[in-house]
Amino acid sequence: MPTSGSRTRRAGRTHGGADTATPGRTPQALVLLCSVGSAAVTVAQPYVLGRTLDLLLRDGGADGAAGRWLLLSAALLVGELLLDTLTSLFTGRCNATWTASLRSRALDGLLRAVPDRARPFAPGDVGTRLTLNAADAGGAPAARAALAASLVTPVGALAALAVVDLWVAACVLAGLPALALVLRAFARDTGASVADYQKTQSEIASRLLEAMEGTATITAAGTGARERARVLAPLDRLAAQGRHMWVLHGRALARSGVLVPLLTLAATAVGGLRLASGALSVGELLAVIRYAQLTAGIGGAASLLGAVVRGREARNRVLALARVPALAHGTRRLPPAGRGALELRGVRVVRDGRQVLRADGVRVPGGATVAVVGRSGSGKSVLAAVAGRLLDPDEGQVLLDGVRLDRLSREALRAEVGYAFERPAPVTGTIAEMVAGGPRRVSPEEVREACRAAGADGFVRRLPDGYDTPFPAAPLSGGERQRLGLARAFAHAGRLLILDDATSGLDTATEHEVDRALRRSVRPGTRLVVAHRPSVAARADLVIWLAEGEVRAVAPHHELWERAAYRAVFAADASEDEAEAGTGVEAGTGEAPDRSATRRSAPEGVRP
Amino acid sequence: MTRTTPADARETGDGSGAVRRLAPHARRFLARRTGILVRLSLWSLAETGQAFLVGYGVARAVDQGFLAGDTRRGLLWLTVALVAVLLGAPVIRGVFAQLAGLTEPLRDGLVRHAVDRSLAHAAADGSGGTDRAAVSRITNQVEIARDSFAGLVLTLRSFVFTAAGALLGLLSLHPSLLVVVLPPLSAGLVLFLVTLRPMAAAQRRALAADEALGDHAARSRTALRDLTAGGTGPAAARRGAELIEDAAVAARALAGWAALRTAALGVAGHLPVLALLLAVPWLRGRGVTAGALLGAFTYLVQSLLPALHTLMTALGAAGSRLLVVLDRIVGQDRPEAEPGRSRRAEPIRPAGPGSAPTPVPAPRPPDRSETAYAAAHRPAGGTGGGAAVATPRGPAGLPGPGGGTPDPRGRPADRGRTAAVELRSVTLSYGVRAEPVLDSLDLCVAPGEHLAVVGPSGIGKSTLTRLVAGTLAPSGGEVRVAGREVTGRPPAELAALRVLVPQEAYVFSGTLRDNLTYLAPDVSSADLDAAVDALGLRSLVERLGGLDAPAGPAELSHGERQLVALARSYVSPAPLLLLDEATCHLDPAAEARAEEALARRPGTLLVVAHRLSSAVRADRVLVLDGTDAVCGTHDEVLERSPLYRDLTGHWNSGPARRR
Repeated sequence: MPTSGSRTRRAGRTHGGADTATPGRTPQALVLLCSVGSAAVTVAQPYVLGRTLDLLLRDGGADGAAGRWLLLSAALLVGELLLDTLTSLFTGRCNATWTASLRSRALDGLLRAVPDRARPFAPGDVGTRLTLNAADAGGAPAARAALAASLVTPVGALAALAVVDLWVAACVLAGLPALALVLRAFARDTGASVADYQKTQSEIASRLLEAMEGTATITAAGTGARERARVLAPLDRLAAQGRHMWVLHGRALARSGVLVPLLTLAATAVGGLRLASGALSVGELLAVIRYAQLTAGIGGAASLLGAVVRGREARNRVLALARVPALAHGTRRLPPAGRGALELRGVRVVRDGRQVLRADGVRVPGGATVAVVGRSGSGKSVLAAVAGRLLDPDEGQVLLDGVRLDRLSREALRAEVGYAFERPAPVTGTIAEMVAGGPRRVSPEEVREACRAAGADGFVRRLPDGYDTPFPAAPLSGGERQRLGLARAFAHAGRLLILDDATSGLDTATEHEVDRALRRSVRPGTRLVVAHRPSVAARADLVIWLAEGEVRAVAPHHELWERAAYRAVFAADASEDEAEAGTGVEAGTGEAPDRSATRRSAPEGVRP
Repeated sequence: MTRTTPADARETGDGSGAVRRLAPHARRFLARRTGILVRLSLWSLAETGQAFLVGYGVARAVDQGFLAGDTRRGLLWLTVALVAVLLGAPVIRGVFAQLAGLTEPLRDGLVRHAVDRSLAHAAADGSGGTDRAAVSRITNQVEIARDSFAGLVLTLRSFVFTAAGALLGLLSLHPSLLVVVLPPLSAGLVLFLVTLRPMAAAQRRALAADEALGDHAARSRTALRDLTAGGTGPAAARRGAELIEDAAVAARALAGWAALRTAALGVAGHLPVLALLLAVPWLRGRGVTAGALLGAFTYLVQSLLPALHTLMTALGAAGSRLLVVLDRIVGQDRPEAEPGRSRRAEPIRPAGPGSAPTPVPAPRPPDRSETAYAAAHRPAGGTGGGAAVATPRGPAGLPGPGGGTPDPRGRPADRGRTAAVELRSVTLSYGVRAEPVLDSLDLCVAPGEHLAVVGPSGIGKSTLTRLVAGTLAPSGGEVRVAGREVTGRPPAELAALRVLVPQEAYVFSGTLRDNLTYLAPDVSSADLDAAVDALGLRSLVERLGGLDAPAGPAELSHGERQLVALARSYVSPAPLLLLDEATCHLDPAAEARAEEALARRPGTLLVVAHRLSSAVRADRVLVLDGTDAVCGTHDEVLERSPLYRDLTGHWNSGPARRR
């Protein structure tokens, strides 16, 4: 929903805010604390070391003062060592925590999303976003903390410089604006070039996935080499973008690389003059030069800034998944006695500004089988998606046994509304696990029973390990996969079962067997069947006839059949039975059962 | 995940294996780029020289100028340093230009390698599209390798040159300075080296965890609609949460090692300074001057410490990361050790050159050179599977064109011509225990013939097309296309013989023309136009904005993808077309149009029928069911196959039973 989307966006901007999904500020605070501590120690060091050296040189370290300063020097050196170590540890842990949090939000967002709205995200792209991009984005909070700390050193060094010698400080301060300009240019260039680079990378990944899905064709055609070339085609562009990134990086470093020594030189010159005039000691000159260096070391922030910039781009990519409009669920349950009466009230679905479905006052009595009929593109699948809430209508409501679907809890909804699709998605577990997967626990017997009903038992048992064969390792045809999808739906059948073209891959005989089993062996309930074949529509109790996204009529098949426009649906879009019947006559099926003659008359009537 | 765990378990804590595996690759890679390496060294040397000049100028300015009270001289030396500084900018740019010459070829090579490997895996799997880790490999891991490598080259280079320079400088100031500085420095470096190996192991675990997560995410996206509809979203979310937690745990473990490494480098960087301070009285006693001490501190604090610092930040994880990632991408091309794969029935492997697996050897039946035309038969009444292998039905038992019965469509079989497709007692089973999918099948298809294969799904129709296509080797028997045995034939030769159009139409991102000319790059525009019209693709072409407009699989419906795949096969020069339910997403009218167009095309057509109308259109029909196979014209099989009668009966009872 748009509301949840905007909420997520707001949470995304106020990183580390009140959102429960974010890890809070503690990990960052630890990083900040340690790195600021380390920075402070770094700032103190030149002065203390210089002073110690001066004392040691003056009186050979014999007296107590030199000893105290020596102790302080040792403490600072060891302290920096420890603080650096802790900074490293906390940075790694902060990155891990933030990365995990971003990943959780993105994955949850994806899994809650309206499936239709997740279409722009290709699977390979999702993989990239959750791994590489999430890691980059997860590094950003610690990088921000480190960035803040990295400002402490130059600022502190400048302050220390001012304490030791004002002239040198003024000299260094004068050179800083140039450095700032260089850094700004760096951040700007990097942002654009990194985004281009990442896009090209994703393109290669997408092409690779395409080719992997077309393996059957590629293997048969022996075009592996060409596929390789096609997948790798953007590589030249990637290399050019990569080189460009290095050039930008080199240019920025060259600029800051010149600026820092220049500043140091200027500081040395001023410091030298002061030394000559007796205002500075040797140890102080050492400290002054080092402070000038540290102040100019603000350039070290460049790489951190780069990480922050990269993190920002990556974060947008990762959280784009969390911002996909979600299917929010209510808390209600269905009345226990209901039989699955379905009603569509004022339903309207708009996609890309175009109305793709309008259905008002469509009622399907509980326990009925209803066929959804229409030419392709008439909105059959949209209706199927809306009826089982894979998609919320933009207007109107869908009611099951009088309860609005969007008021139902997820459990109540999915336990009672099941789907089988034209192409069930592959899973990683075994065949038995795939069929058993669903809102409720299913016993092995029920799995087998469902498979028998879906006509899948035979081929499953013929697999190397039968029901325990891992799904990815099972050589299955589209029709076989479809039957496993049916079996899964059967095993979990509730009061509404929606078959969205779920038997298109089955031959006529199997389809008939499945239909019979559906009537006899599966838990009774309302069935919504998207159908292309008149035979399916004829077997249904009721037909929802769609044309151009509008419901033309809801009536039994034999009543609708009187209307030429209805018959024309099958003539143009699904003239299968008619065509087959026609050719069957030509082929001289003299021994075909005589009842076929009467039946054939109707389709023949609409033939041109 | 399952793919990576065993390798992981086997190699935990062992970095040496990876080093051994990678060393030859690394040597080759670097050997081919000696020019770049030399240029990089020269630029680095220039950088060192430049840095030395700056340092020398500053030291002289202080020593002989300001301390001596000669400010003019001091400023003069600083001017020398200034010139050296300005020379620094082109030097740094030069270093990075050379660096790109190393990192970009490395990335290109890794991407190529990863793509090759994924494509090879997909081809070996047959099914394809399951190895989502491929994505992680070509984005995440390659990028890690590239960044790590760049960091490694930069820091190692700078560390070596700087450290050598600093140590030489110390030596030139006073040899006893080295005695003080070297012990803590080398102690830190040793500690650093010790962490290398466990860190590599931690890195490997972290990467494996990331890969598993990427895999899960991609799979969840693919299955999103099913997960939502089936109510299994929460289960996928839980699994995802586990994987995210695993990755976080691995990353935290890694952070511990990184901290230890930071400590090691801190020891190497900071303790020498402390040692030097503590040793000041002793050094003074050995005649080390104040200027020399100042110089020593300058070298330590301004050269060695920053060099160690960059070594630490870049090398923090880069070295072992690089090792691990490279090993994942390049080193482990191991065909064994994939759980699940070993359990898989072997015939799924493509019968590529040299592989030709005959995994479940079946007793080879006596060679029947006189296999009858149109004889598609299994053992008569062979309910017992392979029990009756040696009882082939003679030609007389099967009325077919070859058996003397004239083909009603006027295609008398020509015994003199080579059969377009010939199967001799072909058997295939997916495992020793499994029932054979095809059992001693004989089949002969004449050139130019149009054969439809019919049967309940799962009965072996797809398997049959893959056997004929040569992408699957039979467990027993012989498959010939145009007289040539296909098993073990190289893909290019096979491609010249036949086109296989599977149910899953392959459309790739590119222009429609690219997609259509996929199997016939030289086809003329006129022929292409003809194919577009013949298959009814005109409206799609217009919708997309012409043949040369970009098109991706996402913009096409399943039916349109199938039409594209069919049009592609239409223009292909191969004499045999194998359609494996390649029209299942088309509506019947489009299917009829497509099949008729393909049948008009010169050559042989073998169609696994999705609808019975396909069978009626064919010259002959092969009906497969669990125990029997019958082949003949439509009328003949109607007469002889109860299954076919049943199927036609079902279909005839279609439109309006209620009427």
